[in-house]
Amino acid sequence: MPDDALGRPYGLPTRREPVVPNGVLGMLIFVATEVMFFSGLISAFVIGKSNAIGGWPPPGQPRLPIEETALNTGALLASGIALYFANRAFKNDSPSTKRLLALAIGLGGFFVLFQGAEWVALIGEGLTITSGQLGGYFFLLVGTHALHVVAGFIILLYTYQKLSHHDLDRFTFWPAQIFWYFVVAVWPILYWEVYL
Amino acid sequence: MSVALATVAVAWAADLVYACPSCASPLEENRQAFVDTTIFLTVVPLTMIGGFVWWLRRKIRDQDEPPEIAVPHNLLRDAGRFSKGR
Repeated sequence: MPDDALGRPYGLPTRREPVVPNGVLGMLIFVATEVMFFSGLISAFVIGKSNAIGGWPPPGQPRLPIEETALNTGALLASGIALYFANRAFKNDSPSTKRLLALAIGLGGFFVLFQGAEWVALIGEGLTITSGQLGGYFFLLVGTHALHVVAGFIILLYTYQKLSHHDLDRFTFWPAQIFWYFVVAVWPILYWEVYL
Repeated sequence: MSVALATVAVAWAADLVYACPSCASPLEENRQAFVDTTIFLTVVPLTMIGGFVWWLRRKIRDQDEPPEIAVPHNLLRDAGRFSKGR
């Protein structure tokens, strides 16, 4: 049978690459639902805050650590930037991919640990989920985000393991990045609304 | 007649009953927060869906475009007005 210019036998249909890989499409839909979930939580907080008698934060409640959390916010943003450069290095088959991905994971881990320490201190000062509106909203919003950070951290660890075994492809790495960028992007909004 | 009476009754009741607790709040800040979050929750999904459709259309258009093939300059010159100015 004669072949065409690309060496394919005539008469066979060519298989097209999907416009959006399934993993990416699935993650985008999931992140879209997450965006709406966080939008709902933030909206509830904004209305609750505006309805507070005696101003916000309510009197007699512990102050939230603004400066320390600003540092932690910087760590999370730096983690997102490190992941961006890890992806660029991955595209170029650069050996620095592993180092940059490890940096992104390390900064994400730092964020989780720092936040855990902050929570312990706040609970020690009497701020709990049942202590009032501030505690209820704080642990609901920040706690939900912390759960997402932990999930993203585990996903990044999985990609690191695959990279170590030379088994990582862009169809796995791309969805993991989308989720981590979402986690990084939503935090400054929460910080702005809850802490400032 | 009974349908008309029921409609009037419902319209009258709707004037007394508010669908949201914030709409009748005495606090101006609270009413404004309700309006702001309503706009926010309306715009966010529309922006996401619109952005996704725009991005998808761009990806499909990029995929449908034939790949550029390197053509020697002398051939392009010979093509005259069919060379698209290249």
